[in-house]
Amino acid sequence: MKGFFLGLSSGAVCAAYCAPVLVPYLLGEGRSVLQNFLALLQFLLGRLLGYLSFAVFAWGIHTSLPQDIAHRNLLIGAAYVFLSGLLIFYSFFKAGRACPSAGGQEIDHRLRNSRPSLFLLSMGLATGLNFCPPFLLAVATAAEQASLLQSVLFFLTFFLGTSVFLIPAPFLGLLRGFSPLHVIGKMAAGLIGAYYLFIGATMLAGGFYR
Amino acid sequence: MMKEHPPHAKTIEVRQSPGKSFLFALPMMLLTLMMMSGGKIPADPQRLFVFTVTYLFFNLLFFLMIHTGKTDRYRATAFITYAILFIVSFISHMFEARGSMSLSQEKILLCEVPFCHLVIPMTLIPAAFTKTIIFPGTITGGYASIASMFTIWIGASLSLGRGWCSWGCFFGGLDDAFSRILKKPVFRNINPRWTYLPWAVLLAVVLSAAAFLSPTYCTWLCPFKTVTEFEAVTSFKILVQTILFASLFIALVIVLPLLTKRRTQCSLFCPFGAMQGLTNRINAFDVRIDPDRCINCKRCVTACPTLSVTEESVRAGCPLISCMKCGTCMDVCPSGAVAFHVRGTPVAGNRNIKRMLFLYAAFLFLAIFSGGTIQDGLSRIIRLITTGSMI
Repeated sequence: MKGFFLGLSSGAVCAAYCAPVLVPYLLGEGRSVLQNFLALLQFLLGRLLGYLSFAVFAWGIHTSLPQDIAHRNLLIGAAYVFLSGLLIFYSFFKAGRACPSAGGQEIDHRLRNSRPSLFLLSMGLATGLNFCPPFLLAVATAAEQASLLQSVLFFLTFFLGTSVFLIPAPFLGLLRGFSPLHVIGKMAAGLIGAYYLFIGATMLAGGFYR
Repeated sequence: MMKEHPPHAKTIEVRQSPGKSFLFALPMMLLTLMMMSGGKIPADPQRLFVFTVTYLFFNLLFFLMIHTGKTDRYRATAFITYAILFIVSFISHMFEARGSMSLSQEKILLCEVPFCHLVIPMTLIPAAFTKTIIFPGTITGGYASIASMFTIWIGASLSLGRGWCSWGCFFGGLDDAFSRILKKPVFRNINPRWTYLPWAVLLAVVLSAAAFLSPTYCTWLCPFKTVTEFEAVTSFKILVQTILFASLFIALVIVLPLLTKRRTQCSLFCPFGAMQGLTNRINAFDVRIDPDRCINCKRCVTACPTLSVTEESVRAGCPLISCMKCGTCMDVCPSGAVAFHVRGTPVAGNRNIKRMLFLYAAFLFLAIFSGGTIQDGLSRIIRLITTGSMI
């Protein structure tokens, strides 16, 4: 229960960290509330995978990673770059642009027909690897657990606690009749992607970002 | 297809004789005298001179607005003057207080950064959740406090809606000025999709501000930092930010307005302006296009500096939500079809009364809000001429 309550008490911060990724996507897709709930589940599944992989990691290394700033920056930087790639890619390839070259068209066609669930799963995974303050707290607590199972259970309950705050997100589907929001969502995804790219790149480059 | 001019449809309808114009302008003269002087006429000769020049400047423009029936050209004169003198006044203040335009970390930590209305969208959501304004300024007191700017903004939004962007914003006059330099635009066609960009910027900055608890628009994107204040370059990150906002200033405030004759920063980028559009729905005044008078010449579509009048909106009888009530469309309309309107009244009613009601609200706000800054800016210029220094 400790993990659940930690998640519940700090879930607003987690929701604020996830919103820049999730909200533009849901607006850009312009789907119904029900379809948005399915999309949220896919996103949350990716986030859960991120959390669980960290649960194993946290238990195995006993918090040494979050304390090591250089390694931490590398991991967060990589997650940001990956996330920015996904957002910028989403912003452009879903915007209906066609690459003039034949090879480009083939890639474009493949990407358009790729499974959206994989896309959401990847975005969830990358967001799950963010070191937001509640997540750092969870890592520190999980590292004190005696067994791997306890650590995993802790992160699982923490994940459930934080996920409560994302439940309102699918209701953005109520606005789907307003078509300009689809364009606005995609444009916003590109802008946030560019911002994340800078943060991630500078973190990877080492120490420039503060 | 273009219709014939109806027999009585012309802008002359809103023109007034000099005597009538004076009578209409008289209340404005008294109100501006009271508000700009604060009940006390300056005794110092230089301050008295500056006060008189500012007072006459505003009241002459208002008189001409009534007499000629034209709105935009006189509004723009006051609005552009305000923007230029705001920069003169602000930079002088910064040099007086800090010795430079750059902002040190110390000043940020001491919360001594002046608050501007462009930050409002980013502060609302975090303030609702955390009861904290994420801006390193002072709530009350000091130079440009947060509470004073919020109060002015709420009042202006209720009375003018997005008219704020053409009658109150101390930055808007800059791209307005550059958009008027060339007689004809170099680039005519702008994809209407770009008008959604301010909303995307708004969404991105609101979400990222809530996530990182930082005023992201101010930190990264605000082009007007170039002519007001900016963080001292002490790291790679600040260097990138500086390059970014300076490039945006050159592109959005100078080059694109010049080439397109549109207010590109205000209509294609500003997130505050996008949010301000929503307030167009909750204030008493709007702009309407009378279908019975419209001859479908599309001059309003071509002239609108904010891309708020489209062929569809002409058919619908009102401009888009992004309308800044600048008056350009009504000045160019040959049939007098476009006019200011008071909600809840018939479109075809007495246009002159509605116009006067709006002009009194908007112009009085502009005169009072900008009066002090214009006087300060003029004083600085006089000081520069007489002493060689503005501070």
